[in-house]
Amino acid sequence: MMRMAHWRRAFSPGRVVVLALLTLLTLFTLYPLVWLVLSSLKTPYEMFDSAWRLPEVWQWGNYRTAWAFGLGHYIVNSVIVTSVSVTLILLAGALTAFLLTVVPFRGKALITLFIMGGMVLPPEVSLFPLFRILNMFGLYNTYGAMIVPYVAFGLPFAVFFIGAYMAMVPHDFYEAATLDGAGLLRCFWSIYLPVSLPAVAAVGVIQGMRVWNEFQFALTFIESDSLRTLTIGISTFGDALRVDWAVLMAGLVISVAPVLAAFLATQRHFVGMAQGGVKG
Amino acid sequence: MRRRDFATGALAAASAAVLPRGAAQAQEKVTLSFLHKWPEPTYMAFFQKVVQEYEAAHPDISIKMDAVADDPYKAKIRVVMASGNIPDIYFSWSGEYAHQFVRAGRALDITAALQAPEWQGRWSAAMLEPFRFDGKLYGVPMNQSAAVFAYNRAIFARVGVTPPQNWSELLAVCEKLKAAGVTPIALGTQAPWTAAHYIGDLNAKLVPAATRAADYTLAAPEDKLFTDPGYTEALTRFQELLTKGYFNRSPNAMTMAMVRGSFASGREGMILTEIVTLDPMRSAKIGTDGLGMFPIPPIEDGRGDQKAVTGAPDGFLISSATQHPKQALDFLNVLTSRANGALYTKQTGRPSATIGAVTTDNASAEVLQGVALLQGASAMSLWLDTVIENRIAAVYLAGAQALMGGTATPAQVMENVRKTALEVKREGV
Amino acid sequence: MTGWRARMAPYALLAPMLALVAVFVYLPILANIRFSFYRWSSLSPTWVFVGLANYRRLFADPLFWSSLGNNAIYAVASLAVQVACGLVLAAVLESTLLPRRLSGCFRVALFIPSVLPITAIGLLWQLLYQPAFGLVNAALETVGLGQFVHAWLGEESTALLSVVAVSQWQWTGYIAVLFVVAIRGIPRELYESAEIDGAGLIRQFFSITVPSVRQTTFVLVMITIFGAVKVFDIVWIMTGGGPNNASQTLGTYMYRSAFQTDAVGYGATIAVLMFALSSVFGLLNLWLQRRGE
Repeated sequence: MMRMAHWRRAFSPGRVVVLALLTLLTLFTLYPLVWLVLSSLKTPYEMFDSAWRLPEVWQWGNYRTAWAFGLGHYIVNSVIVTSVSVTLILLAGALTAFLLTVVPFRGKALITLFIMGGMVLPPEVSLFPLFRILNMFGLYNTYGAMIVPYVAFGLPFAVFFIGAYMAMVPHDFYEAATLDGAGLLRCFWSIYLPVSLPAVAAVGVIQGMRVWNEFQFALTFIESDSLRTLTIGISTFGDALRVDWAVLMAGLVISVAPVLAAFLATQRHFVGMAQGGVKG
Repeated sequence: MRRRDFATGALAAASAAVLPRGAAQAQEKVTLSFLHKWPEPTYMAFFQKVVQEYEAAHPDISIKMDAVADDPYKAKIRVVMASGNIPDIYFSWSGEYAHQFVRAGRALDITAALQAPEWQGRWSAAMLEPFRFDGKLYGVPMNQSAAVFAYNRAIFARVGVTPPQNWSELLAVCEKLKAAGVTPIALGTQAPWTAAHYIGDLNAKLVPAATRAADYTLAAPEDKLFTDPGYTEALTRFQELLTKGYFNRSPNAMTMAMVRGSFASGREGMILTEIVTLDPMRSAKIGTDGLGMFPIPPIEDGRGDQKAVTGAPDGFLISSATQHPKQALDFLNVLTSRANGALYTKQTGRPSATIGAVTTDNASAEVLQGVALLQGASAMSLWLDTVIENRIAAVYLAGAQALMGGTATPAQVMENVRKTALEVKREGV
Repeated sequence: MTGWRARMAPYALLAPMLALVAVFVYLPILANIRFSFYRWSSLSPTWVFVGLANYRRLFADPLFWSSLGNNAIYAVASLAVQVACGLVLAAVLESTLLPRRLSGCFRVALFIPSVLPITAIGLLWQLLYQPAFGLVNAALETVGLGQFVHAWLGEESTALLSVVAVSQWQWTGYIAVLFVVAIRGIPRELYESAEIDGAGLIRQFFSITVPSVRQTTFVLVMITIFGAVKVFDIVWIMTGGGPNNASQTLGTYMYRSAFQTDAVGYGATIAVLMFALSSVFGLLNLWLQRRGE
């Protein structure tokens, strides 16, 4: 009797509808990944001619060609730039979020506005002036030419997202900590940072993605091939008239794989950790 | 950093001019910066080989090469120019595009340098012309290209048509193909410069050469600017191909890559494309011999130049601020030699501009046909989007898309072009 | 930690971040404001001071207004789909309707579009939208909606909306996951007591979930609006702003002006306007956020 009721509840119409919709949505979002991999195994004309069918002959050679182009050192560069940028963004972002959301002091509103303004413009706008500024600081054509702007542009989002999460923490935590005489940094490092780890992890993955796929700055501010990142390396697989599309697809899969892996590995943590994170 | 380069550069240049070769080798290293738009693996292999060989032969010269793909190149060259960090040697399309650099004083006048014996017999006059402004030469051509029709031999044989000799024959061929259930011409205008091939060529054939030159360079008087009826006729003929059902449906929704892929799969009868894309289209479906080419047919009563070929060289300019003009020229000399030109064509499939570089050893029959076409042309009609001022080109191309989408008439498009041209002329660019 | 040092501490800690943002984000903005008062081709070393001429020209430029309209459409669609539907999706994923593990799978799947490189997305959707062999038209015909078949990216009337749709596909899952992070921070007890009180799932959503994620909502609304004002690469890659400028946005127009039609001053003017627009909305957002506190 109880089992029947359980069954009926398990398959209530609401639930079935939701499941069906979500499954449809999932197919809709996963299919492109499948398509990307399949396309990378086709010949260039197959890609456009029979875009939706399976490859006639699985062209594993595309990956060999893509790799032979020296993707190895591009990946190293991308890894260096991404890990350094993300680490800095998270540390600086979380600290700033803490200071702006939790700590009381004068001029907070103005500073908040100031940081917010950093999110407003698309990076393409800054190409001319940034080029000069980077030259001035001697950063042009170095890892710094990418890392510094990425941190500067990635900071605002980190601040606001982590800040929004920190704002959900009851203020008593801060009062209790300062009453105990803890300094700001201690309060941040031992209490607020751990508590907002889910938001921090989320921002880390997101900014990591952004930096890994970033094109405009990596292209304009870097000249030496030895510093090139993966995204730029792959974009060179063809010009307007003669693109080897299938090899390009293989390159894109190679580029997506690490990001996807990183996401899959960490997502459980940043969402999982939050469960029961903040008790009322 | 730049100051030090200046000192060493000046010293090297001075001594190279005064001392015999051997002594010059005792100088400090000269660095040439070289920016081009071919980062693809096949091209880079060629460039790196030439650079390495050159550096080995000239131990006192080191070449810093950077390559950025086609679309981002347009942005990068501007950022680089604006910051004053101009590369010693940089890529440029010919025509108005190169003229911009010349007008801004960024390109070196190499007319005298090219008179030297080592440059003679290198290029035909037609190749150099698009790099000549106010009677002076500024650019070194690297490769050449032309817009031609590629056709599917099997389809033509099946339907019983042969390559047309003039425009009305072209229309007849299209009609026969359409009747046989084959899409006559493949066209993709999502990136509108493909339409520029058609319009540019039709302009050349329908508008008298002198009028066209005056209009393109904005030298014509205001009340005559872009008023020749040939322009509107060109657009009408272009649109006619669509309304008669000779293009595939919705060209605006197709990218050139899709369309070329479709042609290479044997679907359409013809496609207007550049000779450098001919060989890659010989897919398994169409067969290595399945592709032929014919020049864009002349128009019987056209008032323009029927022997003009829509094509252009592109190549390199030297910075007017370079500290090492001699070395830069020397490197370009080596880069465009007949041997290296042949290697370039063999490796990349793109026809070198150097005379004698493109032979049966490194090019297919159709590519050779295209090169011969360029050699025999009375004049080269450059790509429409690089031969007129940017803003006017933008309006022209948007108008082409409107024609393909049926949202504007040829008269309306020309009206917009005329308006923009007047604006630009008045600003005195 | 006594008086003076304690009071200075926040400022001292913030200083390096503020300096970074000031130099690398604001200096370029100021430079752009300066550029907008000149007429300048990037290739030429000479600039010509033209005062407000660029602004006057901008406001009289029909292409500016149509681009602005396109951005507005973008913003409205993004707020409705990404933020509103994203929140609903997040709530559904976190609710009791789904077992934990299944919810986790869905969450991962929905996030994936935002991970793909823009080149892949552009190519994929150009093919999907292709009128002759694209899956979109094929699907419509299979379902019997054949009369809705269009040349999506090729027609001036559907081009922008087609690109907008791709953006929603790309970012909705991402926004949903960000909301999930926020929802996870809501104490379970609130839901449990509501359920005991007899409130259904929908009631729980509106009276508990929505108010509790307020802060996050404001942030996400803000970044969505900013994103809508500065949208560039998805449009550039899919239509280049065409056909015939039908899908031109402020971002693509600005890029074209600065890097193709060689009017850097004019491009800077558009950029200044984008900054002003975003600032207005950002301030509005902040004010609303403050009001509610």
